[in-house]
Amino acid sequence: MTTAPLLALALALLNVAVALLLSPLVEGVMRKLKAIVHSRQGPPLTQPYLDLLKLLGKEDLRTTGGLPYALAPALTLGSVLLLATLVPLGAAPPLGFAGDLIVLIYVAATSAVALILTAFASGSPYAAVGGSREMMMLLSVEPVLAVALVVGAVKAGTLSVGGILAWNAEHGPTISMAIAAVALFLALQAQAGKLPFDIPEADQEIMGGPLIEQSGPRLAVFRWAMWAKQLIFALLLVQVFVPWPHLGVVPLDAVLTLVKALAVLVLVGVVDAVNPRLRIEQAMGYYMRVALSALAALAFAVIGM
Amino acid sequence: MTTPELLAVAIAVLLAGAAASLALARRARLAGWVSTAFVAAAAAAIWVVVVRAFSSRAEGEATVLALPDLGARLSVVVDPLSAFFLAIVATIAVVATLYSVDYMTHFAGNTLAKFYPILLVFFAAIVGVLVVSDFLFFLVCWELMTLTSFFLVTFERENAASQRAGWKYFVITHAATLCMVVAALVLWRQCGSFHFGDLLAALAQLLATRPLLAHTVLGLLFIGFATKAGVLPMGDWLPDAHPVAPSGMSAALSGALVKLGIYGLVRFFGALLPASAAAVGWGIAIALAGTASLFVGTLTALRQTDSKRLMAFHTIGQIGYICLGLGVGIACLRTAPTLGALAIVGALFHAANHACFKACLFLGAGAVLYRTGERDMNRLGGLAAAMPLTAGSSTVASLAIAGVPPLNGFASKWLIVAACLLAGMAQPLFLILGLVAMFISLATLASFLKVLGAVFLGQPNPERRVSEVPATMAAAQVVLAALCVLLGVLPFWPLRFIRDAAAASVPIAVPSASELLGGPWGLAVTGGGAALALWSPLVVAGGMVVLAFVAYGLQRAGGAGRREVAVWTGGEEHAAATVRYAASSFYLPFKHAFAGIYPRIRWRVPAFPGGLRRAFDVDAWAYRPAARLVERAAGAVSRSHVGVPQVYLLWIVVGAVAVVAIVLGLVG
Repeated sequence: MTTAPLLALALALLNVAVALLLSPLVEGVMRKLKAIVHSRQGPPLTQPYLDLLKLLGKEDLRTTGGLPYALAPALTLGSVLLLATLVPLGAAPPLGFAGDLIVLIYVAATSAVALILTAFASGSPYAAVGGSREMMMLLSVEPVLAVALVVGAVKAGTLSVGGILAWNAEHGPTISMAIAAVALFLALQAQAGKLPFDIPEADQEIMGGPLIEQSGPRLAVFRWAMWAKQLIFALLLVQVFVPWPHLGVVPLDAVLTLVKALAVLVLVGVVDAVNPRLRIEQAMGYYMRVALSALAALAFAVIGM
Repeated sequence: MTTPELLAVAIAVLLAGAAASLALARRARLAGWVSTAFVAAAAAAIWVVVVRAFSSRAEGEATVLALPDLGARLSVVVDPLSAFFLAIVATIAVVATLYSVDYMTHFAGNTLAKFYPILLVFFAAIVGVLVVSDFLFFLVCWELMTLTSFFLVTFERENAASQRAGWKYFVITHAATLCMVVAALVLWRQCGSFHFGDLLAALAQLLATRPLLAHTVLGLLFIGFATKAGVLPMGDWLPDAHPVAPSGMSAALSGALVKLGIYGLVRFFGALLPASAAAVGWGIAIALAGTASLFVGTLTALRQTDSKRLMAFHTIGQIGYICLGLGVGIACLRTAPTLGALAIVGALFHAANHACFKACLFLGAGAVLYRTGERDMNRLGGLAAAMPLTAGSSTVASLAIAGVPPLNGFASKWLIVAACLLAGMAQPLFLILGLVAMFISLATLASFLKVLGAVFLGQPNPERRVSEVPATMAAAQVVLAALCVLLGVLPFWPLRFIRDAAAASVPIAVPSASELLGGPWGLAVTGGGAALALWSPLVVAGGMVVLAFVAYGLQRAGGAGRREVAVWTGGEEHAAATVRYAASSFYLPFKHAFAGIYPRIRWRVPAFPGGLRRAFDVDAWAYRPAARLVERAAGAVSRSHVGVPQVYLLWIVVGAVAVVAIVLGLVG
């Protein structure tokens, strides 16, 4: 835990860079995969980068003024990148400190706050419906994340994500951590905003929901934040809950983690390709059951399994 | 001046202010300014007391008046715990009074003689509650505080809802006070004294000798304090009383009054229990009551569309957080002093934070009410452009209460949740409570995003002309919002004093400030040499700002042009009001899932006894019959006065004849 400040800064920059630069590629892989499952040709792997480049140069059409509205995309991406520095990538989280588990849970919600406020501010009824759904999804999914992380905290006896990672790498798989990992994997589908849980965006129904009035660079930044978020949550899952094999060499571990994260997201992509969208109350019921099942993991953790 | 002298000055200033504002009540704004000046002067004196209590120059107890026959004496002592709550009350009092200067002018039909004087007496009573160390005088001040707040809640006399809410408040809080009186009398019989120290000693002895009686007394005290604090189910008065009070008073109710319940809990339970064997049981009971309160209160708040009623339910929820922290602290202070102290410090810090953000939110709701006359959020929207200061401070306060880092609500929730989870390693129940607290924090967020979305954001209604509130009202809100940011980014600064307050109130040695709270750059909780938890708001806030700048740089990198466009509504033109997403539509499936969580028990509200009402109604049985009699007599007399001179002449002649006849008769 006593990484020197300079090293921590370098690792933080690495995490931010990975979240920013690799996330469009991961999204490209998932799109290609979906096309293959659908027997389509699909876009090239670099398509998300091209999308971003194109959007960044497009005209920025706004339905409302005001400073908070203007800053909302930056705050969304900013808080996602802050989340990136709280998530381990091969080593302990660069910005990690002994109570970062709670901070991570709250920061994870913060990016959604900026998005939802943007949706409400834009004045579109579709955006308002989308924002309301986004909040309900957050209310359903976040408890799963919280329970999973608390299971880790109980096992490792610490409130630091780095500590959980270290404990898990040392002690090997346990029943409680396995259940927590499965629950977190199920939550990942919604956190990535993929089918059957892309209810807030629901393109065919409410036309992108919170993002309907966003265009040009603002849309680019929001999209980027969503892609970065799915990669970060995949990293959190594979690194904290499935850290093996943990070699102890930071660059090797980092590469290994990225490969594992990609594999997990490929699985998410397959689920996305073969499922229809659920209604919001079905999704809420589903995640409530997941969270309650994850409480079983907590029970196992308490009795030391 | 000594501390008691300063306090006497503060209370005298408040009472003088009450008299002055009574004299000036006909001139609304002047009365407001005079009251603000007097409250500010009293607050200054109280702040001197506060600073003195936290410095090494603390003074011992001073007895003003002794009643040896009763075993009671009016003794005054300001320890750090009292000083901490005095600081909250002094701040909220100034802000709420300042806000009322302009706000109260729109109650044109009501005389302000029943607002400012009572408000100032109310503040004086709160100061009294916080400084006396004798239960008899504590109860006197407590009752004065309850009565004055009752009159403030029922300020709008012509409003039936406000009368009903006031009556409910009156009955419930007096039932609670009765519990406290019974508890005090039981203890007084044991030791023959009303002094806090003697009472606590008697209670500790009872715990050892007659546990059943002792736990009954503790239960009565808990009901007494928890009712005032707003813990469910006793806090049922709160969602009715807060919305109907004038907004400045709502802020004072939520910011100051309900904290007094917390003060009582810390003063008695914190001082007694941690050292006793009953600590774990009572700690868990208080934590469970708190968790039930925060769960039910917040999820009920989510369903409200009346802005002030919503915030009142959130007060119940946030008080739940405070009780949760307190309960965890009491339960594990003896076995794990660091953890217990952390929880109690977190609970007290949350009390201060709640005073800031909830007062700010009530003032914001009041500002909207002042300009639009609406509390129903379904009929509001798009006010941010017209009321930027109100919208800005309400946004900050909303995010603070929802626990968005790095605002103050997060700092204290972090302490409480961290304490819950760490305590949960030994006592798994606390794990569940911590998880519930985290989930409810998200529900709070949902609720306040709804408020922001329904009231301030979206397209404005062009038919409604709205402008920003007057400077005094805006200033009051901005000050509180600034406090929310300041306390969140620099939490370690107030926490040193809160640690002293906690240390002064519990019977177990609390770890030093540096050990408990770390250095000047972050909160570092260490126990037995190992870092348990740490939170550095400056690093997180700084990182957030830097990364947001990076993101903004990316956004602007393409140099794209900007244009204002109309909202797209399916290709058809619609007025903004017709396509609004109303407050009641938010989160509908989620609200359905928790529909029956706050049962409305329809019991018959005990009506004021009719016979008694008639007995008190002097008008009805004395004045009005007498007046009617006089009127009828006058009517009979006037019937003879027909206004014709000849008739009057005739009367004069008849009168003269009669007088002559009588005189002759008498003489003859």
